[in-house]
Amino acid sequence: MPRRPVVKKEYTLGERVYLVEITKGLGLTWKHFVFNIKASFRKGPHTVPTCWQYPEDRREIAPIFRGAHMLMLNDKGQELCVGCGMCARACPAKCITVKRGKRAEGEEDKYAGKTYCASFEIDMLRCIFCGNCENACPKGALVLGPGYELAEYDMESCIYNKDKLLANYHEAKAEGKLKPPKKPVPVEAPPAPPKKAAAKKAAGEKGKAAPKKEAKQAKKDEKGKKPAK
Amino acid sequence: MVDWQIDLIKVIFIWVWALLIAVVMTWVERRASAMMQDRLGPNRAGPFGLLQPLADGIKLFTKEDIIPEKARKILFVLGPPLFALPAFSAYAVVPFGDKIVLGGKEIILQVSDVNIGFLYVLALGAIGVYGMVIGGWASNSKYSILGGLRATAQLISYEVPMGLALLTIVLLYGTFSLREMVLLQQGTFLGFLPNWGIFKQPLGFIIFLVAAYAEANRVPFDLPECESELVTGYHTEYGSMRLGLYLFGEYVNLGTLAAITVCLFFGGWSLPYVDMSKFLGPVSYGIASFMVFFLKQAFFLFLFVWVRWTVPRFRYDQLMGLGWKALIPLGLVNLFVTALLVQLTI
Repeated sequence: MPRRPVVKKEYTLGERVYLVEITKGLGLTWKHFVFNIKASFRKGPHTVPTCWQYPEDRREIAPIFRGAHMLMLNDKGQELCVGCGMCARACPAKCITVKRGKRAEGEEDKYAGKTYCASFEIDMLRCIFCGNCENACPKGALVLGPGYELAEYDMESCIYNKDKLLANYHEAKAEGKLKPPKKPVPVEAPPAPPKKAAAKKAAGEKGKAAPKKEAKQAKKDEKGKKPAK
Repeated sequence: MVDWQIDLIKVIFIWVWALLIAVVMTWVERRASAMMQDRLGPNRAGPFGLLQPLADGIKLFTKEDIIPEKARKILFVLGPPLFALPAFSAYAVVPFGDKIVLGGKEIILQVSDVNIGFLYVLALGAIGVYGMVIGGWASNSKYSILGGLRATAQLISYEVPMGLALLTIVLLYGTFSLREMVLLQQGTFLGFLPNWGIFKQPLGFIIFLVAAYAEANRVPFDLPECESELVTGYHTEYGSMRLGLYLFGEYVNLGTLAAITVCLFFGGWSLPYVDMSKFLGPVSYGIASFMVFFLKQAFFLFLFVWVRWTVPRFRYDQLMGLGWKALIPLGLVNLFVTALLVQLTI
């Protein structure tokens, strides 16, 4: 490739004297200065267009934002989680620990399923916010919520227990930031493929909408596989 | 009150005032630069972030004071005060107002009306450079010494045009005293212009202003401390309050230079076309003249900030070229023409 010849720019007298150009530059900075001064004296949050003053001004987060986890309740206020541990198995960072408990007599209005999670711990230091747990959950009980202020003073409080996860839910509900419930996408009955192929397909579609049926299918497949291992 | 008590009060007042200006300037610099660059700047400490300088000061005071192991300790310690002290002392001859009558006594608003006025200012400005050079030398660091060397070369180059510009002013007014110069600038010139130095010496004013920027180490001539090439130049190795003194001295320096500019070229405390002393009482006249002086000074202080965030730094050879090849010949021509005109008109 031929080198482009270096052309020395010839400056006009006005440019060589500096003063004219400097005055133009001063005019430009003055324009910005006045604009921003005016903007910063206007009432209301986020008046200077280039700055979000964080604790007061917050940007809108997307409805599919993946923030801190929450354990969902249904309309009757029952816990949806059945403690199956699907999320723990789907988690690539292995940060979820679930213990299952059996629902006792008289706890019907507390838990939706026959079983529930006796303890539910998520290690937020290891979580990568991929959302696989949410997609794996057959009951839609574990959801990545809108919370993004996750800083803590010690490592212990970064391990979220069940209370914290439920509290996250109540907080998000109070702020009206819950995602609209996912509608199960109607899927044609799969043409009965061999088991391995089905598992692969389900895994491939996990990242997307993860319709309920598919998830169930995946669950069955994984359960079927496990003893083989 | 006895005379020495009045003097003491004046000294303390102007000292506090210089400090206050420097403190507020650090805030103005940060907020104004932010506004010019579409940012917000420090706005959390106090209303509009006005307490930010205080927070900075507390931070600098509580930081560990490090003297590098291989530094020349005495010179290293000597550097910052040598830089900051002349900056403060130069305020002594600045007439920051006309006069005020308190308790039947007429007080001139100037610490001392020295008859060699601005020669004193120039001399102190030159001493201030020693602070930088010694600091840069004593740090025993390559960046520091480069910064110090640049400071020397730059200051030598720019003292000359500055002196030439000021000589024309001396020719014009026939006095060295800053107070007398201000008094000579009242009234009008050619019938419609205020009788200010800038209208009689426009070229001298430009040369002086450019040289003042170089003298104060401000962008576009901040080569002794340019962050991008020399880390921070001569004060790279300094920390805690020693660094604070350097930074502070710089702003006090700016205040002095702005005050001198106002005195020499913008009629000091006097308003154009209006003689305040005619319709104001003796006390209110003193305060008004001080306020007028301060507003003019504030404009030039803001101009320092404004130019800093507009113009990029000069390359070293451009800086030297501008000094020796443009400003000094211009200053000489200006001096010659002024001398001729003064000779012809008298």
